[in-house]
Amino acid sequence: MTNSIRRHAPVWASVLAGLALWEIVGRSTSKAFMVPVSETMLRLWQLIAGGYFIMRFFESAELFLTGFLLALAIGAPLGLLFARVRVLRIGIEPYLMILYATPMVALIPFILSLMGFGFGPKVLVVFLFSVFPVLYNTVEGARSIRPELIEVAKSYRSSEWSLWREVMLPYTLPYMMTGVRQAIGRALVGMIAAEFFLSATGLGQVIMGASQDFDTAGVFASIFVIGLIGIALTRLGLNIEQRFAHWRQ
Amino acid sequence: MADTTLASPVSPVAANARPAWLTGTFLPRFLTGAVILLAWEFVVRAVAPAYVAKPTTIVLAIPTVLTDPAFLQALGATLAAVAEGLAITLVFGTVIGLMMGRSAVIDRMIRVYINGFNALPMIIVLPLFSLWFGYSSGARIATIIFAAIFAITMNVADGARSVPREYLEVAQSFRSNRLHMLTNIVLPASMPYLLAGFRLAAGRALIGAVVAEFFLSIGGLGYYILYNSRSYHHNEAFVGVLLLAAFGVGFEVLVQGMTRRFMPWYRRDEKAD
Repeated sequence: MTNSIRRHAPVWASVLAGLALWEIVGRSTSKAFMVPVSETMLRLWQLIAGGYFIMRFFESAELFLTGFLLALAIGAPLGLLFARVRVLRIGIEPYLMILYATPMVALIPFILSLMGFGFGPKVLVVFLFSVFPVLYNTVEGARSIRPELIEVAKSYRSSEWSLWREVMLPYTLPYMMTGVRQAIGRALVGMIAAEFFLSATGLGQVIMGASQDFDTAGVFASIFVIGLIGIALTRLGLNIEQRFAHWRQ
Repeated sequence: MADTTLASPVSPVAANARPAWLTGTFLPRFLTGAVILLAWEFVVRAVAPAYVAKPTTIVLAIPTVLTDPAFLQALGATLAAVAEGLAITLVFGTVIGLMMGRSAVIDRMIRVYINGFNALPMIIVLPLFSLWFGYSSGARIATIIFAAIFAITMNVADGARSVPREYLEVAQSFRSNRLHMLTNIVLPASMPYLLAGFRLAAGRALIGAVVAEFFLSIGGLGYYILYNSRSYHHNEAFVGVLLLAAFGVGFEVLVQGMTRRFMPWYRRDEKAD
């Protein structure tokens, strides 16, 4: 009990100090620079109560889910195919690594110029941000399977189905879930990037609008909400990853 | 029974009979690369307008872009901003990281904020920074620092925490003071972690700079890509993207080489393989 207090006391003290500092700096500087917590929360409440915020939130959620689920629906089976067919995996590996490391943000101007401002190009942005972590990590997982395991399974005349069930899935799924965790984070970045650089919708539009109106409280309020969403999604991703982590050997 | 006795001596011989280039990794990789490039080339030729980037025209655009003074100026502006931002980040990130690594209380106090900021999509701060710094290169530096600092801080903190206790005990028994121990023992011992963090941070800083240039329309590599793709010079713009990817790979190779050259005592990478 006392141990837990001693562990958590610095965290709470630090959070309270941070909030106090935010309030003091906000009150003593110009409104254009910073607004205190109290005013930020008030503004957040206004935005939520007006219904505007909720509508924009659902717009963003629709974009996020469409792009992310598409990435999962295409990335996971393709990753498993690469994992199973060795020659395909070896061939594709270096290119996947390059695409995994390429900053997808740099492709947004091309997507804008080729596909315009609709919902489709934005989904493509979220998809591109999130598909390569899933693919790359699944293929990494396949690399962790010792070839002897498959050889032994084959020499015991294991069927394709039981080979998947006993060898392929237990080895690749934990890695794939690491990919899913990374993909969740990247999809969120892709969502905001699409809303900033393609057409302004969703939570991106809320921030951009507030920034253009010099509504500093509105900017802080939306960053605060997106921060909370980010923390929640990070937690979700870690939970998904950890659920499969003990399969990893 | 008969099957196994016959089959087993044959298969190893057959496997050995194949030449090395067929069983190795080169051929599948080369073929896959060729298929990707050819597919890209022919699909774009068949369905897309002439200005859309395809491998042959991108290759042809490389010499013109690399000798274009406007491009070189843009590249210089971005790299200078990244270098400046990284230098600032390195100093502050290392100091904060060392404090976190050596004090559990400070670690807990700062980690809440780092975890929170890390969960934010980096680009979300752009509207705020444009309010604070205007549409200027100051906002770009701020974005670079925000993008890069957590990677360095977290890695230095990990490194400072993992300094072997014996090193510090020996120093203590020779009556070394705290500052001395920090600069002469903890800092050098956490150098590999610092470099690993620096590699991450450099990549993020570059992306931060490009994104800031997109958003704020200030001159640089990102703006060069944006401007050229808007004016239908996709090939030229794509050379910029290639260069961006090359820098990412270059940082990786540089840091790996430096770790091997200057810190041969460090073996984390080998264990991971």
